[in-house]
Amino acid sequence: MPVLRSATAGSGEAPKQFNQPSRKGKKAWRKNVDVTEVEEGLQEVNNEIIRGGVIREKASEDLFTIDTTGDSKIPQKFPKHVKKGLKADEIINKRSAVPAVSMRKRPSDKTTDGVVPAKRQRTDWVSHKDLARLKKVADGHHENTVAVRDATFDLWDAPAQVTQDPTDFLPEKIEAKVPKSMKLKPLSLLANGKQAPAVPKPTGGYSYNPSFPEYESRLAEESTKALEAEQKRLEAEAAEAAKLEAAAKSAAEADAAEERANMSEWEEDSEWEGFQSGVEDERPSAKQPKRKTQAQRNRIKRRKEEEQLAQHKANMKARRAQEQRIKEIAAEVAEKEKEKALELAKAAEQDSDADSEIGEEKLRRRQLGKYKLPEKDLELVLPDELQESLRLLKPEGNLLKDRYRSLLLRGKVESRRHIPFKKQAKTKVTEKWTHKDFVL
Amino acid sequence: MARIKKKGQAGAAKNFVTRNQAIRKLQLSLPDFRKLCIWKGIYPREPRSKKKVSKSSTASTTFYYTKDIQYLLHEPLVQKFRDHKVLEKKISRALGRGDVSDAARLEGNASRPDKTGKPTYTLDHVVRERYPTFVDALRDLDDCLSMLFLFANLPSTSMVPAKMIARCERLCLEFQHYLIVSKSLTKSFLSIKGIYYQANIQGEEVLWLVPYKFNQRIVGDVDFRIMGTFVEFYMTLLGFVNFRLYTSIGLKYPPKFDAVKDEDAAELGAFTLEGKTLVGSEEQSKLEDVAHKPDPKVQAAVNKVLKNMTNGAANDDASMANTEEADEDAAGVIDKFEPAAPGGDILPQPSYTGTNPNNLFSNFTIYLSRETPRQPLEFILKSFGCKRVGWDAVLGGGAFTTDELDPSITHQIVDRPPIQASMNEEGDGEDNQTAQKLAANRRVPGRIYIQPQWVWDSVNDGELKEPHVYAPGASLPPHLSPFVRKVQGAYDPTMSLEEQETEREALEAGDDDEEVDADETVEGMDVAEDDEDEDEEEDEADEDEAEEEEEEDEDEDADEALQRQIELEAEMSGKTVNSKAANPKTKAKEDAKKALAKKAREEAEDLDRAKGMLSKKKRKLFEQMQYTNNKKSAEDAKLRSKRRKLEKEKANGKA
Repeated sequence: MPVLRSATAGSGEAPKQFNQPSRKGKKAWRKNVDVTEVEEGLQEVNNEIIRGGVIREKASEDLFTIDTTGDSKIPQKFPKHVKKGLKADEIINKRSAVPAVSMRKRPSDKTTDGVVPAKRQRTDWVSHKDLARLKKVADGHHENTVAVRDATFDLWDAPAQVTQDPTDFLPEKIEAKVPKSMKLKPLSLLANGKQAPAVPKPTGGYSYNPSFPEYESRLAEESTKALEAEQKRLEAEAAEAAKLEAAAKSAAEADAAEERANMSEWEEDSEWEGFQSGVEDERPSAKQPKRKTQAQRNRIKRRKEEEQLAQHKANMKARRAQEQRIKEIAAEVAEKEKEKALELAKAAEQDSDADSEIGEEKLRRRQLGKYKLPEKDLELVLPDELQESLRLLKPEGNLLKDRYRSLLLRGKVESRRHIPFKKQAKTKVTEKWTHKDFVL
Repeated sequence: MARIKKKGQAGAAKNFVTRNQAIRKLQLSLPDFRKLCIWKGIYPREPRSKKKVSKSSTASTTFYYTKDIQYLLHEPLVQKFRDHKVLEKKISRALGRGDVSDAARLEGNASRPDKTGKPTYTLDHVVRERYPTFVDALRDLDDCLSMLFLFANLPSTSMVPAKMIARCERLCLEFQHYLIVSKSLTKSFLSIKGIYYQANIQGEEVLWLVPYKFNQRIVGDVDFRIMGTFVEFYMTLLGFVNFRLYTSIGLKYPPKFDAVKDEDAAELGAFTLEGKTLVGSEEQSKLEDVAHKPDPKVQAAVNKVLKNMTNGAANDDASMANTEEADEDAAGVIDKFEPAAPGGDILPQPSYTGTNPNNLFSNFTIYLSRETPRQPLEFILKSFGCKRVGWDAVLGGGAFTTDELDPSITHQIVDRPPIQASMNEEGDGEDNQTAQKLAANRRVPGRIYIQPQWVWDSVNDGELKEPHVYAPGASLPPHLSPFVRKVQGAYDPTMSLEEQETEREALEAGDDDEEVDADETVEGMDVAEDDEDEDEEEDEADEDEAEEEEEEDEDEDADEALQRQIELEAEMSGKTVNSKAANPKTKAKEDAKKALAKKAREEAEDLDRAKGMLSKKKRKLFEQMQYTNNKKSAEDAKLRSKRRKLEKEKANGKA
């Protein structure tokens, strides 16, 4: 069986370039330079220190002695008396010249400030919470940086500009002029183009304890609105259903046609039997239209004249009939105009009333931004929930939404939609090519 | 030949920039750009033709004026935003390298400007720029106040930090303090959405909406970054407005804030207003003791009376003189409650001056039961002159008294189902010494119990409403909006009939009255015959009013002739003329009627003449408007007649 060895599990050495003898030139200074030589040298020095100090740094006296006396014949004389130790002992008895670090506990500073320092391995440690915050900041989600302080001076009564020092010869700084367009009112989303009030005045119908006629009129108004909306929804649903049905039908028809086509494969065989169907009908006739004869032209002319005369007669007849009931028609037209005027008057009246009071405002068709203005909440207490007591009042509507909508309505910002999730980058899943790391 | 114009060199293409172009020009990120636009008041615009503006294939949706954006380049805030962008880049680079501690150090240096010497920015100059005068700021205060009051009542979330909420709350309370001291609150309305307040600050009407407590849900479809940006700006604005308002009435800003009291939910009570040291300490002391001490004038009068009582009858003459003086003093006020015995309790003195509606509750001590909304009630009562508002301890600190049995309480606001009056008096006596709380459904005698709506209706009408209508358990009258514009001739339930009915209606109503009266008198006693005749004549006249109107002029002439004839006859016989003068009332009425009819006719004629001048279309429109108006006024008249009937029935029932 082959011994598997991971390609990544290397020799434990630092990664190095394969072979780079020269260090000349800019290009040579790359990463993973071969440092084996340096490491070997360091290792050697270390070994020397363990053996009793770097040899180079030692004085010659420590390294060499002058052997003045000595008897080289003793071992020869008494070979049995000389003790030869074990190899294992020899290895074990090898001692480093560097003294071991003492394991004794050392006393610390006797004086403290009384605060027990938090045990922490690293002083520059950053908590996960902080890290998350930092990541957010890096993404541009910083907290508000506006320093809101207590007002300490009157902004509208601030001291005037300091008169310039006559000795100062630097030219005065020219302030940028505010363009006229800055002073233009924001684009109101109301259909009539008027500025919507920031806080529309509430009518009596919004009271927690409304008077009956006001409440009733509001209830009726809201219910008709709800009914209309429901009707519209149902219509849309029906239209959708019809559309689906039609689609299904056409799909079925297409299927049927396909089936028929499949069937006709058999019919094609009939050609063999000697007859073809529908082939000649489809071919356009190549025959050119012939020139009209004079008689034909005359006939056509006569027919046209006759037709014109008949048309004229019919027109005259209708006109006479209208003349006879001219009064009725005038009345009709007057009626129509009246209706139109009534609508106009109503609209005008509503406009004048509704400019500062709460109510259903008519919006302009084109709005700011990509999205529509959000719908208003239904702010209505139903009749069975209507309470006379303030304690039992169930507040309706959401003020937060209301304020936000008001901002949009007054055109201060364009409407946006909350996007709860960022669009993630699409990832493609592939298999790792580890089988290529297979080493025998 | 004129010079050829290139496309995109002039007109809309130059006047407008798309949002992306603006961002690129300013070198900001989109959120920063949005913030800047909100603060500086640069709004999205709509070019007439979008296609002419942008040449890009993707449809741009938001446009700005080029000049606005160009002007933004001079804004010092832009530099701050760019600095921050640089910081962001540094941090993200450090994080990418894995130098978390380095990133933390960078961020720390930036966010602790006091240590690094880098200042954070304020929006002072922006406020000044957008509101060149103080009045401009006041005009735009509606939105500001509504927003800040709303945020002050929000629960704190990650999007709305608690610090911001606390700041909003504080600013709002300071503003409320100003309204209380300056007495500039004018109206308030309890709606289903929240409570509307209207104040008149230096001649500007300010209307804002405050949500009910503990009611705000956080919804997903609201962009809190945008709202937060607005709130940041508004906080700065209201701070400066408050400063200006406080200094305008000689108060020091910011007022002293007691954190301990605030912890105790004292809200308005956590602030102590101080006079400016420059103005003098006199004002300061006055403002401080306003909260607790009784009116010094009243106190002096009471002291005088007390003195008299102790001196007794020894010096009658002197006391007579004294009391006379006291009477003179009291002429402006109302009668006094004098202690029943020497050494008895000093009773709270009523002194209602009907002139100033802002001192409506000034002489009351009002206690709020624990089921009532304390914050709005406290604010309204205090801003309409009530100096002693107490409430149950569960409603928070800062109350004048939390003892429900305090003898100085004159009114108690309750919102509970009916309370039975306690019968045992000896029990009450005990209560005063021992028990702190009343058992449920028991009343303290000698004080008025009312529902909260009494306060609102009294404030809106500028007069104290009858408390028995608002008694606990009573069916309340409808709470009407004080902001509805009064339309001429429309039915208004708050006004009396006499004030709103038209002349014609009044005359007709008078006729009806008299008919009824006449009938009654006929039954009851015998009346002079000529009177009756007159009445009959009038009846006839009523029946064929239309005819009468047509022939009015002739009638008048005939009448005059008749009158003259009678006068002549009288002269001949040497008598005084008294035939018609016998009943001057009916005569006057008839005259008025005639005059009215004449006036109406004249007006109609004028109108016809004016209509003749109009174009056909406008005339039609005018006629329609008249038609709807008539319909509406008929409805109003119907409502009024209904009310008249009811009132009459009521009057009859009483009589």
